[in-house]
Amino acid sequence: MNRVQSLTQAYSQAPWRKQLQWIGLFMLGLILVALVAGIYLSVSAEASSNGRAIQAMYADIDQMEREIEDQKTQLAFLTSNDEMAKRAEDMGFLPVNKGEVLYIVVPGYKRSGQAILGSPPGSLVPDVTILSPEYTQSLFDWLRERIFEPAAPLVQEVRP
Amino acid sequence: MSNEFTWRFTTLGVLLSALAGFIMIQMLRIQISPQADDLRLKGLAYSGNLTTIIPARGEIYDRGGNLLAGNTTVYEVGVELADVENPGTIALALNAVVGSNYDDIFTAASVKPSQNAVYASLARSVTTEQKDRLEQLLGEMQKAYGDSKGQDRPSLAGLTFTPYLQRSYPEKSLGSNILGFVSREGRGYYGIEERYNDQLAGETRKVWISLDPNQVEDRPNIPDGVSLILTIDRDIQSEVEKILDQAINESGSEAATIVVMAPKTGDILAMATTPRLDLNEYWRYDEVFMDSTPFNRAISKTYEPGSVFKVLTMASALDGGTVKPDTTFLDTGSIEVGGNVIHNWDRGAWGPQTMLGCMQHSLNVCLAWVATELRANRFYRYLQAFGFGRLTGIDLAGEAAGRLKLPGDSDWYEADLGTNSFGQGVAVTPIQMAMAISAVANDGKMIIPRIVLSFVDQNRQYNTSPQIAGEPISPETAHTLTEMLATSLEVESSVALVEGYRVAGKTGTAEIPTPTGYTSSQTHASFVGWGPVDDPQFLVYVWLEKPTTAPWGSVVAAPVFRQVVERLVVLMNIPSDKDRRRLMDSH
Repeated sequence: MNRVQSLTQAYSQAPWRKQLQWIGLFMLGLILVALVAGIYLSVSAEASSNGRAIQAMYADIDQMEREIEDQKTQLAFLTSNDEMAKRAEDMGFLPVNKGEVLYIVVPGYKRSGQAILGSPPGSLVPDVTILSPEYTQSLFDWLRERIFEPAAPLVQEVRP
Repeated sequence: MSNEFTWRFTTLGVLLSALAGFIMIQMLRIQISPQADDLRLKGLAYSGNLTTIIPARGEIYDRGGNLLAGNTTVYEVGVELADVENPGTIALALNAVVGSNYDDIFTAASVKPSQNAVYASLARSVTTEQKDRLEQLLGEMQKAYGDSKGQDRPSLAGLTFTPYLQRSYPEKSLGSNILGFVSREGRGYYGIEERYNDQLAGETRKVWISLDPNQVEDRPNIPDGVSLILTIDRDIQSEVEKILDQAINESGSEAATIVVMAPKTGDILAMATTPRLDLNEYWRYDEVFMDSTPFNRAISKTYEPGSVFKVLTMASALDGGTVKPDTTFLDTGSIEVGGNVIHNWDRGAWGPQTMLGCMQHSLNVCLAWVATELRANRFYRYLQAFGFGRLTGIDLAGEAAGRLKLPGDSDWYEADLGTNSFGQGVAVTPIQMAMAISAVANDGKMIIPRIVLSFVDQNRQYNTSPQIAGEPISPETAHTLTEMLATSLEVESSVALVEGYRVAGKTGTAEIPTPTGYTSSQTHASFVGWGPVDDPQFLVYVWLEKPTTAPWGSVVAAPVFRQVVERLVVLMNIPSDKDRRRLMDSH
């Protein structure tokens, strides 16, 4: 019995060592928590910053679309029938009369009948999401996706 | 010492725990309180905006791609009532820069801010230049009086500028009767703007936009309104409007209408009428269109067309086999149909006449005889086949159907057969006449007149196809009648003839019905013609209302046709008959 006690005593750690171990463990936990919190804060801050940038970009898109519409209309005012006629007159041009036109055959020339302002109807391109998930998902969403959702196949089926 | 600290720490711990517990209980109480839902909603309201996204209204182009109706940025000027410092300065500035009423602005900007009164709209449709001027004033006042104090210091604080798109018409009044206009509320009125309002306006959607940058979401793709490419040719429309205005001045007419149509496709190349409105000032509508004046006479105003209608009577009789071009009729100067005695335009007797002579001299007596020979039932069946009494289906808002009395109707009498044969007693619109007569110019096929050539939706262009309204007459009849009418113009050396181009056509002079009968002092003068005869590319319908210099279509309307065609052949690149033959031979 005494032998066992003396063995236990011989191998037991000093109280200050135990205390140090506990403090060490606590500090490790604290560092881990601080690390995760830091990463989370950093990612959140970046996401918020990007979110703000996206909001600003949407506002820019709206403004640019309005500017494009404006510019198109201003150009149309500058090239309106009256304006063009006035400019032509100022430059010394006169309206051509029917007897003054010379018609010649140009092989291969086909007169365009009407304006083309869009591509012909065909297979429609589906709506594509512009914003990638990295800008909207949280760190936990990302982790959940990586852990629980099946990974995308390495080789995707290609349809002709 | 140790016990004393223990007691203090214990007390502090209890107090802090109690505080934490109290906060927890209060949070729980708020969560389950009856007002919880309201509070949640209020919280939600502060977390973002329910924004109405109004897509840009689709544009309207002519067939060559020239913009006829677009959009421009304008601003709504308003005030954040809580920030207003001096309503008088705001009213003065808006009065000077925008022209708003001082009292109205002062009253609106003086409203005391409350939960229900946060913002007041002061002026809309403010141009970019005006907005820039106001912003400049705002900055200058801030700089000059920003440091001073007192209620009376000049200040434009509180002014806000919200941009939005508004309809704009670069060609001003050109083709205004076809286009129509868009009101301040964004609704289309008349013409294309009304007919295709839903397509042009696009789909307005309400979208929740979070203010929390962490919750920023992909905004839904809301496409702009559908853009339209019209059959109208801007250059032709412009030339035709100039000729029309000149014709009104020279003939002293009350109003006029010219329709230019491609008979093979039904494309309306130009549709000019009076009055016209600068569409950028659509609020002047009431000044311009007084006394129920139709917005577009070409499709909305019905009238008795007179002798141009003889083209259709003759087409029916030729197609029905009742007469041939060389059939002879002895004109004694009058004929009685259903108890009504019909005379010629000059009240003269023209003796023996072939059908060519009847058309050439525009003899009412002869055409009334032709209609009676054809019989009422067949005559009216033909007129129905030509589309009278119903809408043509042109894609413009506000079309009128006119009136064609038929045997069996309570107000139809046998006498109507005689008068209808030369275009009296029947109410038609110019577009109905153009469509019906296009059958003669297009091998007997009548095409529904169309204004929209293509739709452009999300960068994809969808072209429309010509629609056949019917085949009221055979190709042989169409060719025979075209030849008769071309010869008739040549024989009488009509002022409608265009040097180098063979055209077919017919004049019309109609008396105007009044409550007391027909008046011969005022007339409707018309001319319809098409060409080149061997390959018709255009059909021109001219209508002058109540000309004062001369009542006859042959005098006032025929020269207008010639002027239009002389410009058309240049703008449509149609070589003269001789040149076309030469080019075809060399090819």
